[in-house]
Amino acid sequence: MNRRFSTLAIHGDPIKKDVHGSIRMPVYDSVGFEFANSKDIQQSFEGRKPAHSYSRITNPTVEDFETRMRLLTGGTGALAVSSGMAAISNVVLALAESGSNIVTTRHLFGNTLALFEKTLKPWGLEARYVDMTRLEQVEAAVDKNTRMVFLENITNPQLEVADFSALSQIAGQKQIPLVADCTMTTPYLFLSRKFRVDVEIISSTKYISGGATSVGGVIIDTGNFDWKQSPKLAEAARKMGPMALLATLRKEIYRNTGACLSAHNAYLQSLGLETLFLRVDKSCDNAMRVAQYLEKQPAVKRVTYPGLESSPFFQLAREQFNGKFGGVLTFDLDSQESCFQFMDALQLIKRATNINDNKSLIIHPHSTIFCEYPESEREAMGVRSTLMRLSVGIEDVDDIIEDLHAAGEAIA
Amino acid sequence: MEVVVNGEKQNYSEDKVSILNLLQQNEVDKPELVTVQLNEEFVDKETYESVFVAHQDQVEFLYFMAGGSR
Repeated sequence: MNRRFSTLAIHGDPIKKDVHGSIRMPVYDSVGFEFANSKDIQQSFEGRKPAHSYSRITNPTVEDFETRMRLLTGGTGALAVSSGMAAISNVVLALAESGSNIVTTRHLFGNTLALFEKTLKPWGLEARYVDMTRLEQVEAAVDKNTRMVFLENITNPQLEVADFSALSQIAGQKQIPLVADCTMTTPYLFLSRKFRVDVEIISSTKYISGGATSVGGVIIDTGNFDWKQSPKLAEAARKMGPMALLATLRKEIYRNTGACLSAHNAYLQSLGLETLFLRVDKSCDNAMRVAQYLEKQPAVKRVTYPGLESSPFFQLAREQFNGKFGGVLTFDLDSQESCFQFMDALQLIKRATNINDNKSLIIHPHSTIFCEYPESEREAMGVRSTLMRLSVGIEDVDDIIEDLHAAGEAIA
Repeated sequence: MEVVVNGEKQNYSEDKVSILNLLQQNEVDKPELVTVQLNEEFVDKETYESVFVAHQDQVEFLYFMAGGSR
């Protein structure tokens, strides 16, 4: 029977019936697992018997969360990791090597950009930056050493939306995997498999964790890419077929980098998944109302939200994201000083980093997340000193607007 | 008919044994979570019911534990 999104999120598909009949997967906070005999443990290590042996590799509570993510995305499989950044670094390590390149954009989360520029560049990986909304740039940047095209499906904090049908066509023609960070939408709004994304990455810390309860990440192989075409995974594809990426991660990179998600955090994230659809709907509806309010305020110089008809990405976002536009927006005042005064006057909205919490959060990216970059680079990334990022929560929207309105009056 | 499953010889009296039959005989709870190799070739999960084994075939049931997709 084909169950629908909310049913799958709530019930999952338990691998085994719990010995006590628990209707919720328990937290298996155990490092090791016992085997009945030596042959069983040998077969488990050979991959001939399904069993958990050590929680840095697999764990029943984590597996339950992974199963739910696989069901919700319709992919080949899902691998839960310790954070969204662990998800990105594991995928890059699996697909690329020294001397190769990835085609991406400067419009990325600040830590992702730092991973490419500061952590991986000295190891010989080149990141080629293009404008993902200009397809000719993407096509021109790809060469025989390109190992992936990487982007965020709504960029943070620029809130640009790329055309996935067009990008996947380019990547497909060049036989290069299209890897997308879909944190801002989750599988509830964006079915990456349908839009021909090959690998989906999610920081489950955000919407999925159910209100910033825990840090985590997920890697999903959508099943769209034939890994025999990947120079790094061709040999793995011969041995492990369609499981080449996920099995290479599990048996090598994820294992060797210690990127595991804890059982406790997996429990919290499964719990969060059960109400994901309700929270995403509410935060998107609230974000739309807040964006429309801000657009009418004289002190606000610019509002950026893909859900506004004034956004150049409105039509594309509506087509790709199930009629919703995410819970994050940005707006500009006339100066950094005004932004600071405005933020300091807020009483309900929290001054904090993170997005897609249940609570509304505001931050000045220029002086925080992107503070390590020179002014010229921040400008190239569209991170202006006049810009604030607001992650709209699921409070009563009238209270959010009243808080913004009072802060605006306080600095008038 | 003799078939080698995960390195062990198994005998079947039936004339036709599908991959799904083999998985059931070996008490695999969720066949959709197993990756199967038949004589070193991967078998598409959609065809477990329609692909049949022959005498002396080598079959591997593999569990990559890769995200709910064992």
